[in-house]
Amino acid sequence: MSAPLHECALLIVGHGSTENPDSSTPYYNHADEIRKRGIFSEVHCCFWKEEPSMREALYMIDAKEIYVVPDFISEGYFTTEVIPRELEMDGPITKVHGKTLYYTDPLGIHPAMSGIIGKRAQNVAPGVAPEETTVFIVGHGTALNAKSADSIKDQVKALEESAIPYASVQEAFMEEEPFIKDWHLNATTPNVVVVPFFISDGLHSYQDIPVMLGFEKDEGLAASQKDVFRNNPYHLQDKTLYYSSAIGTEPLLADVILDLVSDFQTEHLSA
Amino acid sequence: MTLSETLQSALDSGIRQIGQIIIETIEGSYVLHHIDDSETDRSALTPYSSPEDAREIGLYGPDGEFRFTKGQLDLKTGWLLTLPDIASLRRALDIFYPASLGLWSAYKNGTIRVQNLRDKLDRQTGMYRFAGTISDAGAQDLVQCLCGPGNNCVKKILWKLDDDTPLTDSEASRFDGIPGDADEDKAIPLVCQEACNFFVAQCRKRAKNEFENASA
Repeated sequence: MSAPLHECALLIVGHGSTENPDSSTPYYNHADEIRKRGIFSEVHCCFWKEEPSMREALYMIDAKEIYVVPDFISEGYFTTEVIPRELEMDGPITKVHGKTLYYTDPLGIHPAMSGIIGKRAQNVAPGVAPEETTVFIVGHGTALNAKSADSIKDQVKALEESAIPYASVQEAFMEEEPFIKDWHLNATTPNVVVVPFFISDGLHSYQDIPVMLGFEKDEGLAASQKDVFRNNPYHLQDKTLYYSSAIGTEPLLADVILDLVSDFQTEHLSA
Repeated sequence: MTLSETLQSALDSGIRQIGQIIIETIEGSYVLHHIDDSETDRSALTPYSSPEDAREIGLYGPDGEFRFTKGQLDLKTGWLLTLPDIASLRRALDIFYPASLGLWSAYKNGTIRVQNLRDKLDRQTGMYRFAGTISDAGAQDLVQCLCGPGNNCVKKILWKLDDDTPLTDSEASRFDGIPGDADEDKAIPLVCQEACNFFVAQCRKRAKNEFENASA
């Protein structure tokens, strides 16, 4: 029998960065939003690259039961190997060091993500007819993590089947086909919306993808100084292009975290 | 005892400092400032009033560099954070010095789980697995290059290389986790129960250099 949520802690696990202070901002924002709602007795973040580390995190938690939510965009090396190892988890429910840890699915694979991508696409291109718009959901893409691409393909399919009548929804990647640099060849509509499928804004969303899209030069400004999301729309290749910040910066993701906890309870803790 | 109760008890016993922060209790509120601002006119300090403000205060050092490890000895001066209760004080301290209150409590109670460097490196996978090939001499040298106040980190190192190999005596290995001149019974030390992941990344680089030099 698990404790009610108001006696449990929520631990949001993120990657973090030793170089980019914006990297951990979405995790803190998600935590702040959930903390404000007073659902859990405590809400904390921990990181792979920043502090507190996963090994340090349990020391800052009073609650005996902890929901661990990997704030990651897909299943893969971190969610299946690094996080379980660092938090000493051996399955969905682990008793360790006097605590019980409940390990949920990662954020990015939740079905609610496609609705959030759709909303983000509409917000970034207000008043633009979906029937004349192609949406690209962009990931890194690498042979090392096929599940990352699978996660994006699932979201493409879900957005295609949603109520928003986009002319086309396509996956695109930085390092594998279909390449985002070929966006103008793969979009037949006059309008294009590009949504980076990352948790945090960083060099990929501030610079690498804008360079591949063709509206930024490869000049290496510090990430925080870039203003790529505020200059929409861009007129390129005889099309009108709207560029979104990383999907992880969306405040609605706090609700997806709560959905993951709820789903976990249904799957693993229902009597 | 909860961590808030532990913190309250520490304050009641006369503890007034953690890291580079002084904690004062004034008319039921908690007032925090940098140890170097103890003599500064309060009206000259930028006022803050939310525990979450600790993130902004501690994000960058005076040189504008991102403080990705919070044990860095470069918390900026010039601010005054006033908090209404012990819960918000605990929250702010967990942002300024993540988990440090809980780590100190566990250290004090003898329940802290220290992991020596070799065990930490042995548990690495992926690109960091190679870090475990670093020599003992290389690892000892890295401690003296990266840790301790001379290298901007003010945590008290609890770990050894392995059970039989203590850290070579140095400023880093001796540091007590309390910046400034405060007595040990007046400050919460910052403790390091295992090498941070930045240290592991540097072990990997050093191990690669050692391998390349040996192959040359």
